[in-house]
Amino acid sequence: MNWKKWGEPQAYLFILPALIPYLLFWLAPMAYIVYLSFTDWDFMNPVKNWVGLENYVNLLQEPAFFKALKTTFLFALGNVFPTLIGGLLLALLLNRKMKGSAIYRAIIFSPWITPTVAVSIVWAWIYEPRVGLANAILNFFGAGSLEWTQSPKTALLSVLIVTVWKGIGWTMVFYLVALQNIPESLHEAAMIEGASKTQRFWHVTLPLISPTSFFLFMITTIDAMQAYDQINVLTQGGPSGSTTTLLYLYYDAAFRQFNIGQASTVSISMVVMLGLISLVSMYISRRRIHYL
Amino acid sequence: MLPMNRFFSRMILYVSLVIICIVMVFPFLWMFSSSLKTNDEIWAIPPILWPAEPLWSNFIDAWHSAPFSLYLFNSVFVATAVVVIQLINSSMMAYALSHMKFALARPLMGLIIVSYMLPVSATYLTGYVILAKLGLLDSYSGLILSNTITIFGVFLLRQAFLQIPKEVAEAAKIDGAGHWKILWKIMIPLSSSTLIVMSLLSFIGQYNNYLWPMLITKNPNLYLVSAGLRSFFVEGGAYGMKWPLIMAASTFTIVPLLVLFVVAQKWIIKGVNNAQTVNK
Repeated sequence: MNWKKWGEPQAYLFILPALIPYLLFWLAPMAYIVYLSFTDWDFMNPVKNWVGLENYVNLLQEPAFFKALKTTFLFALGNVFPTLIGGLLLALLLNRKMKGSAIYRAIIFSPWITPTVAVSIVWAWIYEPRVGLANAILNFFGAGSLEWTQSPKTALLSVLIVTVWKGIGWTMVFYLVALQNIPESLHEAAMIEGASKTQRFWHVTLPLISPTSFFLFMITTIDAMQAYDQINVLTQGGPSGSTTTLLYLYYDAAFRQFNIGQASTVSISMVVMLGLISLVSMYISRRRIHYL
Repeated sequence: MLPMNRFFSRMILYVSLVIICIVMVFPFLWMFSSSLKTNDEIWAIPPILWPAEPLWSNFIDAWHSAPFSLYLFNSVFVATAVVVIQLINSSMMAYALSHMKFALARPLMGLIIVSYMLPVSATYLTGYVILAKLGLLDSYSGLILSNTITIFGVFLLRQAFLQIPKEVAEAAKIDGAGHWKILWKIMIPLSSSTLIVMSLLSFIGQYNNYLWPMLITKNPNLYLVSAGLRSFFVEGGAYGMKWPLIMAASTFTIVPLLVLFVVAQKWIIKGVNNAQTVNK
């Protein structure tokens, strides 16, 4: 046996302390859930029977799955675009020399570090239909009251408002750095060519910050697909399933109904979807993104 | 003197920034003002902005309605332990991946990149089963050990170590330093800012952690603040019957993090920026 091709033996010692938890709590659960999705296990029974694709066939006949899929996409879209566009607009506002810009930045960023559960409870109070602040503001402007988290029409919107509020400062900070990294000379060159402010934004700024946009798109999509805390506090997936995302469906099937077949296939559908989104966006980024 | 329209555009800028900041901060202010109201004031229509006489005793009542000191201790203890372990094991792995030659380096790096893109919550069901088999459910060790891998941290530190010139490590090697010594005496001190940033972000994440710790602990004495607050909201607070107390409890859950943020703002924002290098 040729030991040399394995490289420095010490390297294996160095990776071990991180590799053990990585194997135990990341790779093994991932492989195990793939295996479970082909069995009829119910959490209690010591026997696991191989059932082939049965769980997947069942899942594709499950209306709740398609409903959750749709809700997840709506939630992801409703989170990713406002957070990215809003974060960019805020960064454009703050990207100049002025007094107190560090304070504005800190205030806008602060919700990001607070516990989602705690701030969601605060928002639950704001959304309170009778005396909550949200309806008081709507009434002040002469608009009627909303049921917020208690109506299937507005529940998802209510959860989205909290999520965007919490995440927008985070994207803003990324965009601020990206904007500061654009060389002044490029803007000057464009100005000499006679480009207007809007033209400079579309043809200089936007292409040059596209790596940041790409990165933020990926991360906010992953986060949106895994949103749980705010849904759990505000709506618990309801009313009438209007905020049941895939993760919520998965959690419900696994830990409340012990329907492991459904839970494992739902979780694999999440993995596959994110994998596909990553692949597609990486493909697009190779062709379209301009690195400096 | 400024030209008139420049003056106006500046005014519009400041006014809109102030409005945006008020919107961002208002939930916190509203939480605080609600926590000081009497039960009559909290149900008043239209809502009262600030109570006639702030009822500070709400904080004491809330603090005693549930074991919040225990929840806060659990969160801080678990988060600290996790951060310490993560700092050690991620630096070691990052060092191996950046300054050592071994056959598994490339496949491992590839796996880590893929892991970063996939939803960790997909593993919760089987992670739970594995933790149960290891006998780690309902214990501090389970809460701590199951969170000790940070893919983000490995990325971040690898990036930091790669920026340290190879010559520095080479020179130390010629002087007879081994890998262990190079890591602790050169790499870690030179990357201290990255390590601070990583610790802060990881600490915040663990302190706020909710779903996973809740799944693996049934014993309320092991609740982290989020789970404790949530159970107070549902049971003790009886879903809105005691809003002032709930708001007081939310306040003392959130305030430690806001204080941490004010103190370490520079580092946290810098860390968020660094996160981007993961992508390249």
